[in-house]
Amino acid sequence: MSMNTPLKTVPQSKHSEVHSTASFARSLAKRIGPGVFTLAVGLVLAVTLIQAQGYQPLPTILAGLDYAIGDAPSIARTLAWGLPLFVATMGVALAYRSGMFNIGAEGQIYAGAMAAALTGAYIGPMFTGLHLFLCLAVSALTGGAVAAGLGWLRAVWNVDEVLSTLLSNYIIMLFCAYLATAPLRDPARQSGTTKAVHETAMFSELIPQTQLTSALFVVIVLCAATWWLSERSVTGYRWRMTGESSAFAAAVGINVRRSRIGSMTVSGALCGIAGALLVTASQGRFWTEIGTGIGWDAVLLAMIARARPLSAVVWVLVYSVMRSAARGIEQVSTVPSELSLILISGIIIAATARAGLFSRVAELKKILIRSEGK
Amino acid sequence: MRLTTPILLAALACLPTQWTKDLNVGLEGAMLFGAFGGVVFGLTFGSGFAAVTLTIVAGALSGVVFGWLITRLKVNVFIAGIVLNIFAGAATVYLLRSLFGVKGTLSAPGIPSLPTYRIPLIDGIPVLGPLLSGHTVLTYLSWAIVAGALFAVKHTVLVRHLKAAGEHPAALAAAGGNVQRMRILAQVWCFSLCALAGAQLSIGQLTLFTEGMTNGLGFVALAAVIFCRGRVLLLTLMSVVFGLASAVAIQVNDSVIPPQIAQMLPYLIAFVGLVVLARTSKDGGVRIATPTMES
Repeated sequence: MSMNTPLKTVPQSKHSEVHSTASFARSLAKRIGPGVFTLAVGLVLAVTLIQAQGYQPLPTILAGLDYAIGDAPSIARTLAWGLPLFVATMGVALAYRSGMFNIGAEGQIYAGAMAAALTGAYIGPMFTGLHLFLCLAVSALTGGAVAAGLGWLRAVWNVDEVLSTLLSNYIIMLFCAYLATAPLRDPARQSGTTKAVHETAMFSELIPQTQLTSALFVVIVLCAATWWLSERSVTGYRWRMTGESSAFAAAVGINVRRSRIGSMTVSGALCGIAGALLVTASQGRFWTEIGTGIGWDAVLLAMIARARPLSAVVWVLVYSVMRSAARGIEQVSTVPSELSLILISGIIIAATARAGLFSRVAELKKILIRSEGK
Repeated sequence: MRLTTPILLAALACLPTQWTKDLNVGLEGAMLFGAFGGVVFGLTFGSGFAAVTLTIVAGALSGVVFGWLITRLKVNVFIAGIVLNIFAGAATVYLLRSLFGVKGTLSAPGIPSLPTYRIPLIDGIPVLGPLLSGHTVLTYLSWAIVAGALFAVKHTVLVRHLKAAGEHPAALAAAGGNVQRMRILAQVWCFSLCALAGAQLSIGQLTLFTEGMTNGLGFVALAAVIFCRGRVLLLTLMSVVFGLASAVAIQVNDSVIPPQIAQMLPYLIAFVGLVVLARTSKDGGVRIATPTMES
């Protein structure tokens, strides 16, 4: 971005240029300031927690980071793990933007994973591209249908979507567990898994031994498409207006119901695809604990990104590195890898409390100055 | 009957936060911390009484912090609650591993269990006996709280102040009340009782702690709170219904209904109830105060 600026700005008098760079720097600081603050909080938290375990903080963190982004294969591994999370977070953020708090990402991911595993195992084998497309499409439909139903309940019958999506998580996950343990269980295996999908329903690895598959391109396309849909398209504008003020949206002729159901549907479809990626890009089958809380991670990340698609992508990247680093730290020390979740929770609270905290500090300063004046 | 207690306690915990319009959706997380605290304090001090007391104290302290976060620092209560749920899941696993080096379940002979009490006269009666007698002190406490809450709603200024803090803060402030203190108080109450609910799970019914052992009970309690819309009796009734549904899920034979389907029961009831409530209520159902994503 900074490389483009000299080309774009017409050189003017020296004075105004200095002025503009100063204001640019200020606006940049305003934008980056919160990010720096939250990262600093995260770092302090990490240092404290690692210190509490009796390890030297900085070398441990560096070792973790080396594990996460030290060389090309480890970057690929980190990225590969984050792929489904990108899609799910975009999905959740999209729904937030239209004021629909889709807490049911976890359930929709399970539904999508189950759908993809069944499509992959019982249909085919066939041409790889087609089979993969079919898997993703079916899981998008499944996740979308679940979310659309919940969205419809909210839009038409005014059933609170926070609670309904929350409860749907458990219903869907238990139902999938039932399917995987009883009627659709792989008889060759003990635990609750479905049959392995055909080879043609798996993404191929880009870099061997890293699990980074060509699903990367699908994820990039989906993220870009979601960004465009949410921030640049007319539909996205309607959805955003519905989220900011449904009364205003209704007054200017936006169909609030349709916006709510639509955004939930797309959100659920993205979560479903995230579930499909879990199956087709790494696991190869459905098992009862396939999600490992990715849906909840997505909910947190979408919150901290304030539902902005671009910052959502950045935060997922940061979180993927954090999580991978936490795993690395777990290997060199006894610090459990749940460190990353604790950090992200702390960061979110710090980020949401920041405005309040700063105004409190400012108030205290004022009181201090006043008391000194006396 | 046993499963009713944690749900009832958690639901009662959440009730005042609904009055102050700071509905705490972090019940699940607070309960999980309570369960963990019960086991840890119990293991350290070797007595069930000390464990319960310390868990309540820890709960009350977290309630102060939480209340301070949402009032003074203006953190959205919904976001804070969701984060609390996830944080609790991660933090208990983290502590379990770093303090005890255990993965999954912590069970040790040193963990005390809360004594159960038999009521002399009722104990012999066939149906009533097992229903009313032979429970932990926390179960009886939960029913005492129900009675206390019923009385308090009718006759005390405190409840009126709590409700005013939610419905008309300006009026409360004008009448000389402290809105912030009421909101924090509601959270303190919420966390203390959630801690009890968790302790009932971990050292009342069992003597162990498992990762994620609350298993959605907090959300079921939340659903009960939403249904009752501030009414104590209805809340109690819903908690008992959900408790029975959970009990059925555990007791029913695997050959009749698959266990997963049976476990779905409380969630399904809650879900259907939510839809019915939204359809039948005049003012258009209940909304959780979610933040708007302003640009």
